[in-house]
Amino acid sequence: MNNKILETKNITKSFGTLKALDNVSFNLFEGKIHGLLGENGAGKSSLMNVLSGLYQPEKGSIYIKKQKYKISNPDHASRLGIGMVHQEFRLIESFSIKDNLTLSRSNIHKDDFMTAFKKYSEIFALNLSENETVSNLSVGEKQKVEIMKIIFNNSNIMLLDEPTAVLTPQETIQLKNSLETLATEDTKTIVLITHKLKEIREFTEIVSVMKNGKMVSQDLLTQKVSDNELINLMMGNVKKSQINKDNTIGDVKLDVINVSFKDPVNNIKKLSNVNLQIKSGEILGLAGVSGNGQVELANIISGIERTFEGKIIINDNDISNKGVKSRKKLNLSYIPENRLGVGLAPGVSVIDNSIVRDYFQTKLGPHLSKNRSAKYLENLINQFSIKAPNPKAEISTLSGGNMQKLLMGRELVGNPDVIIAAQPTRGLDVNAVEGIHNLLIDQRNRGSAIFLISEDLDELFKLCHRLLVIYEGKVIKSFTTTDSNISSVGLAMAGINE
Amino acid sequence: MNKYTLSKRQAVNELSTFYSFIAGFLIALIIGSIILLAQDKNPIDTFSLMFRLSIGSVNSLSSSLNKATPLILAGLGIAIINTVKLWNIGAEGQIFMGAIGVNFLYINLSLSNSTIFIILLLLSAFLGGAFCILIPALVKVLFGVNEIITTLLTNYIVIGLTIYLVNGPWKDPDSLNFPAAAYVGKEVYLPNIFGKLSYGFLICILFTALAHYLKNKSVFGYEMRIAGGSEMTAVYAGINAKQKAFLAMLIGGGFAGLAGGVELLSQTHRVSTGISQGFGYTAIIIAAITGMRPIGIFLVGTLFGALSIGGSVIQTIGVSTYIADIIQASTLFGALIIQFFFNYKLLKVDDD
Amino acid sequence: MIDIQLLGLLNATLQAATLLFIAALGELITEKSGILNLGVEGMISIGAVAGFITAVNTNNIFFAVIVGVLSSAIFASIHAIVTVVLKQDQTVSGLILTILGLALSSLIGKNYVGKKLDTKLESLFSINDPSNIFEVLLSQNIIFYISILFMILISYTLKNTMFGRRFEAVGEDSKAADSMGLNVIKTQFIATCLGGAFAGLSGVYLTLSYVPYWTDNMTAGRGWIALALVIFGGWKPYRTALGALLFGFLEALVPRLQTYGFELNPYIVKISPYIITILILVLLTIYKDGKTGAPKNIGIPFFRENR
Repeated sequence: MNNKILETKNITKSFGTLKALDNVSFNLFEGKIHGLLGENGAGKSSLMNVLSGLYQPEKGSIYIKKQKYKISNPDHASRLGIGMVHQEFRLIESFSIKDNLTLSRSNIHKDDFMTAFKKYSEIFALNLSENETVSNLSVGEKQKVEIMKIIFNNSNIMLLDEPTAVLTPQETIQLKNSLETLATEDTKTIVLITHKLKEIREFTEIVSVMKNGKMVSQDLLTQKVSDNELINLMMGNVKKSQINKDNTIGDVKLDVINVSFKDPVNNIKKLSNVNLQIKSGEILGLAGVSGNGQVELANIISGIERTFEGKIIINDNDISNKGVKSRKKLNLSYIPENRLGVGLAPGVSVIDNSIVRDYFQTKLGPHLSKNRSAKYLENLINQFSIKAPNPKAEISTLSGGNMQKLLMGRELVGNPDVIIAAQPTRGLDVNAVEGIHNLLIDQRNRGSAIFLISEDLDELFKLCHRLLVIYEGKVIKSFTTTDSNISSVGLAMAGINE
Repeated sequence: MNKYTLSKRQAVNELSTFYSFIAGFLIALIIGSIILLAQDKNPIDTFSLMFRLSIGSVNSLSSSLNKATPLILAGLGIAIINTVKLWNIGAEGQIFMGAIGVNFLYINLSLSNSTIFIILLLLSAFLGGAFCILIPALVKVLFGVNEIITTLLTNYIVIGLTIYLVNGPWKDPDSLNFPAAAYVGKEVYLPNIFGKLSYGFLICILFTALAHYLKNKSVFGYEMRIAGGSEMTAVYAGINAKQKAFLAMLIGGGFAGLAGGVELLSQTHRVSTGISQGFGYTAIIIAAITGMRPIGIFLVGTLFGALSIGGSVIQTIGVSTYIADIIQASTLFGALIIQFFFNYKLLKVDDD
Repeated sequence: MIDIQLLGLLNATLQAATLLFIAALGELITEKSGILNLGVEGMISIGAVAGFITAVNTNNIFFAVIVGVLSSAIFASIHAIVTVVLKQDQTVSGLILTILGLALSSLIGKNYVGKKLDTKLESLFSINDPSNIFEVLLSQNIIFYISILFMILISYTLKNTMFGRRFEAVGEDSKAADSMGLNVIKTQFIATCLGGAFAGLSGVYLTLSYVPYWTDNMTAGRGWIALALVIFGGWKPYRTALGALLFGFLEALVPRLQTYGFELNPYIVKISPYIITILILVLLTIYKDGKTGAPKNIGIPFFRENR
């Protein structure tokens, strides 16, 4: 660990009043794969954005090979040998792969493009012509091109922001092999940002952990640190509350019968013969890797998607042909996976967003009285302890946690009979997650039937009575959480049905 | 050496639009002064003359309010459409179409009760304006065709249609060489409340209140805001976003059409290419400068109406009437520049 | 032997088309960088009046062209400051640019209405035989050849050079371009001013050759047609030129309709370019799956720290 290639000292960066980075020091060693571990919002991406020249820190210094630099923009970062792969790719979709790889000013493979392209195509197992248009590529292929791009742009230090989030398990293994080759053969220094312990184990040699904008531990050797230590560093001391699952279960509230669905745009079958029943006081989990039909199923139950086969029954009412509003009137609530964009409307005020569920109900009408809306919001703020100082402010001025609390509060305040909650804790910090879990449990105890869609198995095991696993649009297995283990559910999620 | 970096402000001052407007107007007055000085005119004398001749007497104030009426009505139409985050660059054409609507009904219908007749004629103006934006609205919601371009191009189609009508089928033989349709009868003139102030201004006040209610207080306005914020959220909330956008466009077009109808029945009394002198474009300035707020549009529209009257009367002392246009345009440019400092702030970056 | 009248129509078409095309080419450059500028009409006006005044006062045509072009470029920089540097709404800013340009040019040109030019911006060769198609083609105004030159140059640069691909990258995805080390702000600023310069060239062509006098609002909506042409041409120089020829042809046709004894209504012919453009825009949106050729980033201000 002698070859320190990069070092930051006391980096501080704020957004408004939020300190995204607080006195952060960080080291990178040449030719190693580093893990940067932390929960969402811990400051990992912000730190990487500082190193790649996107953010200008207010304080702190960056040393590359012992020399001090001020990285003023992404181009400057490339010239210093630093490149970053963002979660949203920075590729120009209408351009060819070749254009994307070579247009940068810091491109180092001008004259030997084909040789370099062949070499890295082999490392990444990319089997495409350099003239292919990027918009025709799969997500995995785009990521390969994106990583190749920063290599072509002179990067010896490669910062990868949650690269596995968009990959299949096979692609993840492939990526791991490619990165190992790059580190050993090309002596690339690689940083992998992640919040998954498993990936830290599999990918990295050295790991640093961030929490709440601070670096809590630096330069740990992955092999010498235990999972428990890492979890404690990453999450602080959380007491994982045990949930009592012996609450009273009542009648069937939601009945989904034989639902099948084809995407009307490309005619691809997204759901086939899905059956499920949820009773009052019961939490049913739906486990699965993203994109296996969860969003479609939630949209069908909530009434957004109306072109499906099968039946949806709430409280003995067949609502298969009813719209969103009539389902709401039967007291169904839906907390969508996409918080800002579906659940909340960006560009619209906090107060307007707070009444999305009930605006058409008589308690707020017939003229949308400002006072009644304001009272409605005030009630939500008090009941769900939401921090929203200015009701007229645009919704995205709230923090992620507060947005989710507003969304949850809005959907739960009417004590709904049926709740669909899709990825309700994604991207939230530990305390916020705990808060959301408590809300769901409270609601369960009040007799709601809850359908919890999540990728987080810990969450599903903690909250649910029963679990269904969805794979390629089919429910392939069901479990009772009290007498099954996480690994068998994990296998089912990967489509392995023993 | 200190470097600076730009940062977006989390919370923007609620009154920022108002402050920006005031600052922009001051900037515009300075620019106007410089232009006047360059023409050897004393700016203070000129501005005070403009002030006196536009709001100094009941008569001149009435002219200013009459002038403001179409600007405000068209501006309200733009603001309503902007609630769903769409642009209406076609107010100019809708004003013409409103006037055409009036004349069309006037030719084909005759009623003895002039109050009802006037109301019907104004309704026809509203429908004319709505009809004018129908195609842009349809192709927007059906296929997603950019409404900025289509509403803009519609202006030229409608103005072309006007030229055709006043040179062809509607040409008034008595108007000699000036291409115009025949005057409408005195019985359908919008009467004056007192002095020169037309009932058109009362309609304008009513519609300002209506637009304010529609945009800020009604369920429909709420649905438009959500639809404008995110089509996905609208669908999620059970709101038909496309339908709201379509209706908003038709209503907004109707408001601008009404502007043309009022202008015809109270001022020009006939269809000609002079129905609007760029009112539809000035209305965009007014709507944009007020952040699309109906009451703001009413106030700024009144100010701009007065400016136009002031601008046209100072011709007598040899100052170009375009000074009013320049002040209006500079106000918005000034306001846009100031608004930037409300939305962003410069942060100092330490060097060590 | 070709009909002299037809050749006259061809001549008029080429002149009208040049006027529209050169302004459209400028707008194409601006839009390719991701900036929409609805101020073309105003920019043409400024160039037209500045060029005309300079020509009347100095009798130096070359100097007048330079002044006209530079004035419009500087005028366009207002739009660049407001939208590129200060990130304000491009639609609003462009529209006011038109209003301001028309008002300013009327104000500046007030004392020049009705003045005559002693020298005009000349054609390279004069027509001796109006029935010879080659003479008609060779005797066009110098701006005609300049615009052809620019068309080839711009099309080649955008498609085949590193510089051109990078330029296009800015308009397609400014964040990606930024990460490639391109200076987005600088590129958009220059592209906006360049668009102004081309509009200015169109303006001087208007007042120094096409109709060699000055009067208020003499741009007569040509700036808006130029905007429409960019859409018509799917943001490609050659197709835009084709559109310019069609629109120029329609403009040249109107006064000649009666001579040919056609029953076509001249008013319908006059508005047909706008109807055609709307139609094409709709068809492009439907049949090319929304891919009208428009730069993806158009209208969205660039701010690096936007998350």
